[in-house]
Amino acid sequence: MTAPLLRARDLTKAYHHKTGVFARPTSQLAADSISFDLMARERIGIVGESGSGKSTLGRLLLGLTSPTRGTVCFEGVDHDDRSSQDWIAFRKRTSLVQQNPLAALNPQMTIGEQVAEGLLVHRAASKAAAQERTAAMLERVGLSSAMMTRFPHQMSGGQRQRVVIARALILDPKLVVFDEAVSALDVSVQAQVVALLRSLWQERDLAYVFITHDLRIVRHLVDRIAVMYLGRVIETGDIRAVYEQPRHPYTRALLASVPTIDPSIRNIEPPIKGELDPDKVSQGCAFRSRCPFAIDRCTIETPLLRAFGAQRAACHRSEEFAGPMKPQAAAPPRKELA
Amino acid sequence: MSKLLTVRDLVVEVPSRRMKIIDGISFSLEAGQTLGLVGESGCGKSMTCYAVANMLPRGIERTGGSIEFERDPSKSGRAADPTIAMIFQDPTSSLNPVHTIGYYLESALYRNQGLKGNDARLEAMRLLERVGIDRAKSRLRAYPHQFSGGMNQRVMIAHALAAKPQLLIADEPTTALDVTMQAQILHLLEELKAETGMALIIVSHDLGVIARLADHAAVMYCGKVVETAPVADLLQRPAHPYARALIDCMPSIDPADLEPPVPIPGSVPLLDSLPKGCHFHPRCSRATGECTALFPSPSAIGRVHEASCYHPVAA
Repeated sequence: MTAPLLRARDLTKAYHHKTGVFARPTSQLAADSISFDLMARERIGIVGESGSGKSTLGRLLLGLTSPTRGTVCFEGVDHDDRSSQDWIAFRKRTSLVQQNPLAALNPQMTIGEQVAEGLLVHRAASKAAAQERTAAMLERVGLSSAMMTRFPHQMSGGQRQRVVIARALILDPKLVVFDEAVSALDVSVQAQVVALLRSLWQERDLAYVFITHDLRIVRHLVDRIAVMYLGRVIETGDIRAVYEQPRHPYTRALLASVPTIDPSIRNIEPPIKGELDPDKVSQGCAFRSRCPFAIDRCTIETPLLRAFGAQRAACHRSEEFAGPMKPQAAAPPRKELA
Repeated sequence: MSKLLTVRDLVVEVPSRRMKIIDGISFSLEAGQTLGLVGESGCGKSMTCYAVANMLPRGIERTGGSIEFERDPSKSGRAADPTIAMIFQDPTSSLNPVHTIGYYLESALYRNQGLKGNDARLEAMRLLERVGIDRAKSRLRAYPHQFSGGMNQRVMIAHALAAKPQLLIADEPTTALDVTMQAQILHLLEELKAETGMALIIVSHDLGVIARLADHAAVMYCGKVVETAPVADLLQRPAHPYARALIDCMPSIDPADLEPPVPIPGSVPLLDSLPKGCHFHPRCSRATGECTALFPSPSAIGRVHEASCYHPVAA
């Protein structure tokens, strides 16, 4: 078996905060014991609500923040063992695309300068060659090379996101983290960016991590998915297996929350109420306060990821979620186990 | 049923640049009904709402058409018009960060219902509980930054309810929220509509949201309404190629459906360089010569189903 491109082991990140001047600092785990491998050209989706730790995980993978515990290893080199030279090499081979393209772009630089900047900083091309590659890259993402002299404020949201994608891919990275890269766009522009990402992936030696809360989009972009809840991966596996037969009530609730274009589905109770509550994760399952299937065992014992065919889920009652999802019957009837 | 709101040939312009943002749109809304406005960014959905609520930003004016409300015969002047409330896409920036939630709600209750002191506080607590915020008493002392986006949107809805509106305009109310919170807010709006009998205008670029809430939908493109239909007809038998294309670019979550969303080629034209004729023709696969000459007038597809297209998609 070939070595993975990226290996994360037991990744944990704690953030400390104080609620008052004399209050004891409390800590909150934005990432909690996350382990996974990403092979070259593999695509993984990370989904969850805001505050579930998705972005923190993305930043940990790229070494933009250091873990409290655990390791990230890229192409056989541990982040902890990297010299500054190694970090420069790592930056050349990885990239990040964030949600808000207007904030990600420098308002004072032209599009051409920003896309070419990576090539020049890493001395990967001469000035003339950089110009040429930038023009080609912009055309590849569906912008005309005449855009090179424009500024970000002269473009639409969809065009800006294309620029950010062009900038991220100009050095031909092996790994890109897309952090809510299409969430701020209209549905129609989203579809364009999805088509673009699919075709760019086809022609490149590229692996990516796609972070999003949009379960509709991510399905068309990744091979594997990990669902996060309060810093933990609670379900992971082959994208098709997870969508066909979600084994965790949270995944089922997320899928059932997606509005469909079927006008007969109306007046249905929201699948889960409330929102993430980090204060409730001392012991047991973090999701139990919102879970309609919680039993006594969930308050005592923290469920660990268990394998079910092509997927793994961290729920004591996973066996019961055996059937496929239907829009209105999101879960089996409630039943108390002794 | 009587019409609560009738909009005829509405034109909204930026006079300084002679640019038409909304170019002659008409629609009507019955009491208690929900109208969905759908289209891409920049098509004039929000400006239509602002025009109806009479809160167009400075520099943008209504230059033509009429907006008529059903008037209450027992009152006179502005008081006879129906009460309109509006909620917006980004609740956290719509709330004033220096005021508490309680101040915000109580002042709205004073303005709209004349409630003061303890009465106002009790009513504010009731409203907060109604929109799904528990521990309402302590939450009244909280500031918007202490709340999540979903909770602030609930506060905005509670604030809108303080006016006891006959019409609520919701401009992309769930676009900035997570799917789980979106499902909760949509359900809350459904419940409140049933309880209060208010009419609703819901604006979204997401047909899923429109499908969930609207009775009737209007598809907008470049400041024009290109198709209006009962929402089920629109989703099952769209007539305008643009409506068809919007449906095709919705990604599905059905695991058996492996087709990725089909993007609409090209992009929305800028308002100061709109193509002649049907504005959609450069992006439309069915366009012919006549589409480039004159904007098609609306033609009937069904009983209350109209589309402005020379070559409508066959049902």
